[in-house]
Amino acid sequence: MSDEDNKQPEKQPDVAPPATATAKPAAKSAKAALPPDPRVVAAKATGEAMKATLDKQLGVTAVVEVSASKDVPILVIDKAYWVQAVQFLRDDALQSYDYLRMFSGTDYPNYIEIVIHLVSRKRNTALYVKTRTERDLAVVPSLTGLFQGVNWEEREVYDLLGVHFEGHPDLRRIMMWEGWKGYPLRKDYSPFEDLDERGGNV
Amino acid sequence: MAELRSEEMVLNVGPQHPSTHGVFRLVVTLDGEQIVDADPVVGYLHRGTEKLAEDLQYTQIIPYTDRLDYLSSMLNNYALVHTVEYAMDLEVPARAEYLRIIVMELNRVASHLVFTGTYLLDLGAMSPFLYAFMERETIVELFNEICGARLTYNYMRVGGVKWDAPAGWLQKVRDFIPHMREKMRMYHNLISGNEIFLDRVKGIGVITQEDAISFAMSGVNLRSTGINWDLRKNVPYGIYDQFDFNVIVAEHGDCLDRYWIHMKEIEESLKIVEQALDKISEGPVLGKVPKMIRVPAGEYYRGIEGSRGELGVYIVSDGKDKPYRLKLRRPSFVNLQILKKMLIGQNMANLIAILGAVDIVLGEVDG
Repeated sequence: MSDEDNKQPEKQPDVAPPATATAKPAAKSAKAALPPDPRVVAAKATGEAMKATLDKQLGVTAVVEVSASKDVPILVIDKAYWVQAVQFLRDDALQSYDYLRMFSGTDYPNYIEIVIHLVSRKRNTALYVKTRTERDLAVVPSLTGLFQGVNWEEREVYDLLGVHFEGHPDLRRIMMWEGWKGYPLRKDYSPFEDLDERGGNV
Repeated sequence: MAELRSEEMVLNVGPQHPSTHGVFRLVVTLDGEQIVDADPVVGYLHRGTEKLAEDLQYTQIIPYTDRLDYLSSMLNNYALVHTVEYAMDLEVPARAEYLRIIVMELNRVASHLVFTGTYLLDLGAMSPFLYAFMERETIVELFNEICGARLTYNYMRVGGVKWDAPAGWLQKVRDFIPHMREKMRMYHNLISGNEIFLDRVKGIGVITQEDAISFAMSGVNLRSTGINWDLRKNVPYGIYDQFDFNVIVAEHGDCLDRYWIHMKEIEESLKIVEQALDKISEGPVLGKVPKMIRVPAGEYYRGIEGSRGELGVYIVSDGKDKPYRLKLRRPSFVNLQILKKMLIGQNMANLIAILGAVDIVLGEVDG
C-alpha cells in the first residue's frame, strides 16, 4: 500500500488531484497505515488484464495508465488510439461495453481529461475510460461514429471546456450562445472579467 | 399555365410554447405536412450548476440539485448525497434509508402523475391534467409537512435526512396508498381505454433497441423498447435490494408504451412505499458524519434510477471540502437527443405527441 502511495506522484508529477482512490491527502497521512481497499486492488488487477488485452489487440501501447475508483477499473488511453480502443471495448464479444452512460471532461493544471463511463449490460460491469489532451490545443477524436448519443455530450464539453472533437458532425455551442468567448468550466476562467468582450452584456 | 411552386417552410416552435414545459426551442423544416428536419435548441435555462458547485461545500450543493429536475427534487438530492456517501464509505442509519425510499418513491409517483396530466393536456385532453394534479397536490403537501417546502425540498443530507417524519406523517402516507390505487383505476377508465387517445399515440415515435442503446437512453424511454434495465434492480443502491417490485418493460417502443410504463410504475412505486412503511423502525435519522465533509481524493460516479432515467453524479475530488469537478449526468438531456431522429419523416401533427412522451424537464436538460 505504502509503496503504491509513494509511487503515484512520481508516475504523474503534474497531476493536482491524484487519480486513484487510494491516494490520501497529505493532511491525513496519519491514516496511511490502513490496509489497502480490497475493491481497489481487485479492480486494478482487472484493469491490468484489460490493458494487456487492449494493447495486444491494437498492437501498440494504447493504455498508458491503469488505476481504479472503488471497484471500477480506470484505463487511460493514448489519444491516438482513442477511437479504436473504445470501438474494441464496444464490439468485442467478451467485453461488450456497449452502453456509454456518462461523458465528461475535467480541466487539470497541465491537461484536459475526457472521461467516459462504459457499462456492459451483459456482464453487468462498469469501466471508466479516459484520454488526455493539452490545454492550449485541446483536440480529441470524436466518438460520434460509435455512439449516436455522444453528439450533444461532446458539444457540451466543447462549449464548457473548449475541447475540439475531430470528426464531430455539428460542433457548436449548446448551453452558451454562439458568440460567447471563453470556456466556463476551465479553471482559469473568470466569470466577471471582460464580460462585454465575451458577449455577456446583451 | 405555370407550375405550382412549392418550397420548404421553416417553423419555429418555442422557446415559449405550452407544450415544451419550459423554455425549449425547436426549429422544424416542413415539406407540406411532413417534417424533413428538426433542430432542437437548448440552453435557455442553463444556470451553470456544475460550475457553481465547484465553489460550494457538499451540503451547500444540495439545494442546487433541487432546481435541476424540479419535478423530482428528492431523487436529485439523493443522487448527490449518495455519491458522497459512496465516496466516503459512510453508513446511513436504517430509519433514514427507509425515509429516503418513501420520499423518493412518492416523488416518482408525483412526477409520473405530472407526466400523465401534461401529456394528455398536450394532446388536447384537459380533465386528466386536473385530476392528476389533485393527487400530486396530496403528495406535495406530504412533502411540505416533512421538509417545509412544496417543490425545492433540500431534505437529504450526507449521512441521512435533515428531519424525522413528524408525528402521524407515516400514517398519512399509509392512508394515501389505497386512495391512490383507487384513483389509478379511475385514470385507467378515463384514459387507458380511450380510443381517441389510443389512436393518437399508438405506433407513433417508435424507438428501436439499437437506437436506445446507441443514444444511451435510460429510464422509461429505454424500457419501452423492451430492454430490461432499471438501476434499482440491475445495480442496486441504498436498500433497494430489500424490496419486492417489478420492472415494467414494454415491447413496441412507441408513445403508448411510454405512457403505459409510467402508469404501471406508479403502482410499483406504491408497492415499495408500502413495504418501506411496514419495515421502518424508530432510530436516528442522521448518521455519524464528520463536521466538515471532505471527499477523499479520487473520482467517483454513482447513478440512480431517477424518474426520467439514469441520474448520475460524478465527483472529482482533490481531498478538499469542495468538489474539484462535479458532473451531473442528466437523463432528460441525454434522452432528448433522439428527438431529431424521431421527428424526421413524421407528420407535423405528431410533433407534440412525440415530444411530450420523451418526458423531459427543461431545468434538467439545461443544467
